[in-house]
Amino acid sequence: MRILLIAVMMLALGGGVQGQSLPKPMAAEAVLRAAVVDVIRPSVIRFDAVSRGLKSAVGSLCAEPDAGGLAIARQEFGQVVVAYGKVDFLRLGPLMEDNRADRLFFWPDRRGIGLKQVQAILAEQDALATDLAGLKAKSVAVQGLGALEFVLFGTGSESLSGAEGAFRCAYGSAIAANIAEIAKALVAGWYLPNGVADRLQAPRAEYADYRSNIEALEEIVGLVAHGSEALRDKHLKPFMASAEKAAAPKLAAFWRSGLTMDFVRANIEGMRALVALSGVARAVGEKDQGLDNTIDFEFRNAIRALDLVTLPVAEAVADDKQAKALDYLVLVTGSLQGIVGEQLSAALGLSVGFSALDGD
Amino acid sequence: MWQRRAFLQAAGAGFAASLMPGQSLALERTALVFASAVQTAKGRYGAVLLGEAGELIASIDLPDRGHDVTISRAAGRGVVFARQPGTFAVVFDPAGQEAPLTLTSVTGRHFFGHGVFSPDGRLLYATESDFDAAQGVVGIYDATDGYRRLGEFPTHGTGPHEMLLMPDGVTLVVANGGIETHPDYGRSELNIETMDPSVVFIDRRDGALVGQLRLDGGLHQLSIRHMAIDARSRVWFGCQYKGAPSQSPQLVGYASMDGVIKLIDLPSDTLRDLRNYVGSVAASADGNTIAISSPEGDLLVAIDADAGQPRLVQTLRSGCGLAADGAGFVASSGMGELIGVGENERAPQHYDFQFDNHMLRV
Repeated sequence: MRILLIAVMMLALGGGVQGQSLPKPMAAEAVLRAAVVDVIRPSVIRFDAVSRGLKSAVGSLCAEPDAGGLAIARQEFGQVVVAYGKVDFLRLGPLMEDNRADRLFFWPDRRGIGLKQVQAILAEQDALATDLAGLKAKSVAVQGLGALEFVLFGTGSESLSGAEGAFRCAYGSAIAANIAEIAKALVAGWYLPNGVADRLQAPRAEYADYRSNIEALEEIVGLVAHGSEALRDKHLKPFMASAEKAAAPKLAAFWRSGLTMDFVRANIEGMRALVALSGVARAVGEKDQGLDNTIDFEFRNAIRALDLVTLPVAEAVADDKQAKALDYLVLVTGSLQGIVGEQLSAALGLSVGFSALDGD
Repeated sequence: MWQRRAFLQAAGAGFAASLMPGQSLALERTALVFASAVQTAKGRYGAVLLGEAGELIASIDLPDRGHDVTISRAAGRGVVFARQPGTFAVVFDPAGQEAPLTLTSVTGRHFFGHGVFSPDGRLLYATESDFDAAQGVVGIYDATDGYRRLGEFPTHGTGPHEMLLMPDGVTLVVANGGIETHPDYGRSELNIETMDPSVVFIDRRDGALVGQLRLDGGLHQLSIRHMAIDARSRVWFGCQYKGAPSQSPQLVGYASMDGVIKLIDLPSDTLRDLRNYVGSVAASADGNTIAISSPEGDLLVAIDADAGQPRLVQTLRSGCGLAADGAGFVASSGMGELIGVGENERAPQHYDFQFDNHMLRV
């Protein structure tokens, strides 16, 4: 019941970030608690819920294949992609265990390894891939959202509405089960007694991961700084035209399902919610009190740009106005990376700024 | 550009006005002691040359973030390499007589932040990425001909990082971090599940692979990145673990040209505080002590090379750069600190720039 209530609260909060009034500066403890309780846990709970829905929908499609069932499975897939967009940047704790981030979504796949492997599984009707245990033993590239997108939307996916798609559907069902299992593990990980949630909210010197509030805040700030960088480098720039190369919309994530920009929007909204609901940019001194507004202003700019990209990516990159909106998104994500990774870090007295920022 | 005024103030205009080889050497001995890439207070990138007392002798502007510096007395030149996936390397004159020369990586390659000169200073070697093939290469540059690129040979791995010249003057040792990146995807790591790190020894005369060593025991996600050579010609290395954060594998070990590769056992509390990340490795002047740093864990550790045991553990916020100094080490930080480590009683100094990950003792 508690989990359900949190999920309902999260849904209710979904559009409310912009209208929030600014509270007084929050202590680090309150920021960390809000990050876990108001953002991270609701995000993984939502992902878990829709993943179970997807598993069920693909299972039903396999049991009674028809066009209606395929449409429902595709719709559920879209829900999962959007929900995962709000989880993907939460690169800490349970998502980083057991190669889960890659198993959920192996991206970028620069050399198209996943596509080749998925096509081989389908062509050879590899029975191991239809069994959850067998699938988990395979390459991460054939276990997650990228593989399932090809199954549900790629060449030959129409067969899923009939008996001839039985193998393809069984493989898709195993992937959906894998995604649901991982989603469940994420929720369990974030509620584990004495687990990452407790350590992040109440750091102690003897913990391996969060020895102080400073280190825990560095983690939260790093999620947004690195998340903005990853969004730009993995989900925008690779398919956009530049001085050196033409646009390549097939290098966009989720282009087959038309969910490319839905994922990007979910990612932006997720990071915005983390900053806004945790209050991390309000936990600063008097002279930096404007940072919270500055950051949210950039998030709003990103959302305005996203609103302009209404066409499928293949057409958007060829449309002057929409291509410019994409260019602007790249600028905004770079700006967010700098404001959060450098200005906010400095305002909070964190060391995320330089030699410890992103390794080498 | 060189910041000439600071340089002339430190070294004396008359002294700096001439550049005979002997004088250049004298300058290095008397003035220039440390070099490091930095970020300035205004957020710009550069490199600084510091004297024995930590005084700023000169600074060089860089087009983007630098990483490591190498200097050859024989060539009378130093080089700052771009941080990966950067495409520039800036050759500078430590005596400040000639303007810096910016090298650009050739099409299809980028630098990886590290490199070394040949003992005679005639050749410069740089770790680079053939990013379309996801293969590491050593780029070879002719220091006697404007740093013309002569060619390359493979590092037999992906993501080569630090490279050192072995005491024999012939063998290059390269840490293949094992992680695939591609400029189209920024710094995104593309192959964490299948990464394959190794230490390779390469004959610099012909690029022949002398030996390649890998850690076993399921440690393929332990990226081997930075190295230093001890008094027994063993190559100490520090790693960064890319697997599950709840795991804490050993991070420091050594490899030798006779085929040994071994991780040492650091105590669990020290290992915990390294946070699965070693950012820099240095050897003491006598080669009997190895220092490692973790800017993630704000930790510096000095290790007795013979015993393979820590001798000292010290904290330094965002501390990463390490260099031999007297009987101990200096350490620099991303917060602009320079401190003595261990037996080195140097007074801490603070600068208005932030040090990058590596500090070179000239």
